[in-house]
Amino acid sequence: MVKKIVIRMVLLVFIITTLNFIYNSVFYEKDLKEHSKEQYDIKRLQPKTDIFYFGESSNITYTDSDSIKTSIADIMNFFFPSLQVTMINKSASHAGIFKHWLNCINLKENKPKALVVTLNLRSFDAAWIHSKLETPLQQSVVFTRHLPNLINRFALSLQAFDNKTDRQRDKAILKDWEKTKLRFPYNFKYNTVRQWDDGMAREGLYKADCSRDSSKTALACHYIKSYAFNITENNPRIKDFDAIADWCQKNQVKLYLNLLAENVEYADSLVGKELVFLMRQNRDFLVKRYSKNNCEVVDNLEWVPGRYYIDQNWTTEHYNYKGRMIIAKNLSESLKKQFKNKYIKAY
Amino acid sequence: MASCYFYMAFIPKYILVLFLIIIIDYCAALIIEQLQGRMRLVCLVASLAANILLLGFFKYFNFVNENIEQFFLLFGKEYHSSPYDLILPIGLSFHTFQSMSYTIEVYRGRQKAEQHLGYFANYVLFFPQMVAGPIERYETLGTELKTEHRPVYENLSEGMRLVLFGLFVKMVIADNIAPYVNQIYLDPSKYSASEVLVAVFLFSFQIYADFFGYSTIAVGAARLLGIRIMDNFKTPYLSRSLTEFWTRWHISLSTWFRDYLYIPLGGNRVKIPRWSLNILIVFTVSGLWHGASWTFVVWGALHGIMLLLERYFSMALNFKVTKGWNFLNIFLVLKTLAVTSFIWIFFRAEDFEKVKQIFTALGKGFNRIPSNPSVSLSLFFIVVLILSDLVLYNSRFDKGVGRLKPAYRWSIYTLLIFCLFALSGAQKFTFIYFQF
Repeated sequence: MVKKIVIRMVLLVFIITTLNFIYNSVFYEKDLKEHSKEQYDIKRLQPKTDIFYFGESSNITYTDSDSIKTSIADIMNFFFPSLQVTMINKSASHAGIFKHWLNCINLKENKPKALVVTLNLRSFDAAWIHSKLETPLQQSVVFTRHLPNLINRFALSLQAFDNKTDRQRDKAILKDWEKTKLRFPYNFKYNTVRQWDDGMAREGLYKADCSRDSSKTALACHYIKSYAFNITENNPRIKDFDAIADWCQKNQVKLYLNLLAENVEYADSLVGKELVFLMRQNRDFLVKRYSKNNCEVVDNLEWVPGRYYIDQNWTTEHYNYKGRMIIAKNLSESLKKQFKNKYIKAY
Repeated sequence: MASCYFYMAFIPKYILVLFLIIIIDYCAALIIEQLQGRMRLVCLVASLAANILLLGFFKYFNFVNENIEQFFLLFGKEYHSSPYDLILPIGLSFHTFQSMSYTIEVYRGRQKAEQHLGYFANYVLFFPQMVAGPIERYETLGTELKTEHRPVYENLSEGMRLVLFGLFVKMVIADNIAPYVNQIYLDPSKYSASEVLVAVFLFSFQIYADFFGYSTIAVGAARLLGIRIMDNFKTPYLSRSLTEFWTRWHISLSTWFRDYLYIPLGGNRVKIPRWSLNILIVFTVSGLWHGASWTFVVWGALHGIMLLLERYFSMALNFKVTKGWNFLNIFLVLKTLAVTSFIWIFFRAEDFEKVKQIFTALGKGFNRIPSNPSVSLSLFFIVVLILSDLVLYNSRFDKGVGRLKPAYRWSIYTLLIFCLFALSGAQKFTFIYFQF
């Protein structure tokens, strides 16, 4: 019986190998376009790319009143017209997704000279780490695994990726908010996000006429849930950024981490100095950790004035044209050191 | 242990519900066997009530409360109940029914009470079929579980064939049909009659491929362990009547209701009005078993009504279904398919509002034909499913393929493997019957 089974296993391996070949030549590209558009774009655009820009919605969100609807990556490209900046975007994506995109870059074909990766402070927060959007994001990177494409396609159908239910993810967020202790260098009355959130909801914010401002209170609670955390080495995003930095170091590709601007002044007015302290402390941690070797952090955290944010009633990194311009200019200033001869003063 | 581990992968604490069912029915059967006379019945009723209460608590609690609220509103009074946010333990309807069948059989004296708790627990927990059946009897599964099984090549081979075919049917056929059906059922008012009609028929095949695929995997997985469990489907859409349909669709549930509800009610050995009532009761309860919603009840009741109408016509016209594939039988098969497809609307729709939307959309013009590319793929696979049903009529994939020469057999495997790996649906679609 063992002999029979072994023969059939060998036959099966042969069949799957042959089928993988057929799949690659007939269906793979269509599947890539349908299920992993970003990977398809990287493969398609890589031959003529000098700089890759990996981003999320911050790069490509515009407002109706924007005089110019141009992404951060494209504005940045204006400063280096002789270079080809290729942006790869997916809403809600983060370092855990970007690191998979690196697998699609064929270094033998054309090595990019630089890589700009969005470093979003909120992506270190429990709500983003355990977001419901994680399932489709993880689904979109199944094809980047170092396995035969036919096996990856089957893994996609089997939902063989981080595929937790919404309920499980919500539970993980709540657990994090309840259990993770906030660290301040001084005494603060709240120890966890949950306590702080409850406290804010209980005490509330008030209008000039002394009536409770419910919408501002809700927004303040949201700011607490979005920014109240201490980044540590155990944060999964740190591991992801480390992997990206290692890849760039290994392959000698200059890495620019685009630390996105947050509405710090509004956070201050809504919640207070404690929240701003955490935001700055986290920024300092990231800048210190990644400003070494061939990696540079472009610190935009407090560069965009509050009025340039598109969403005034929510925490997003969506900027109007002026905001996007500030970020792009800061990036260009950093890139200028590497591409001195290619830089022009576009604005 | 493997079964427990498998079950606990969902919500670990729910294993306690299963243990409770096991303890209740294990003890009840032992006590029933010891007792004489009326006390046996009392003990049986107590055991059944405990099972039904457990099922009722998890599955029907909110449904009952909602209906009480509605009832009070009819008289202008208010009754407030706070709904429980309960997740139904996976497969609860299946193992309560399986466990109940054992107690009833012991009561009837057809089954000896199992002395060994482990064997009985294994019968209720047996992992290949614990989530969505087939609902097995202790007489068959219990005996199989008690027999020592050694690895036999034929079991492995036939088991793998069934698992492969089951996966193909579920992942390639059902999961490729699902996106189009879901899209239409999300908002039927946006679509033309032809688009909705296609979705109505496609759902018939989706649910068939989904449940048949699961059942085939379950039978195959059990077979890998050397254990034979019953077939739940026998080419149901080739049925010439609804009566025949119910002997071919979800066979383990149909036979359960036949043995433990229809026959105790008097079956067909009663006068026609009473027999009609029996049929209606059985199908309505069967509808309610599927889900805590009036749409399921209506789905069941409609099956009962249509089956009765069919039988009245047959009796009035003295019409008997003949065997073989002649023009009349093909017409009857299509008629049965059409009737079941329209009744499935009540099963698929979340509420009566959706049912209304579907029928309203069906009344609109047939001005737009479905242009969605997934429809062509779905139709192609449905043709494959129908062809396989025709080829395997009254047979099974493992047997049918087993008779072929190795070259043909392996060609079929290769084709199925390719479709499974390269063409299966890429979106997440859990098995439809897992919700019951």
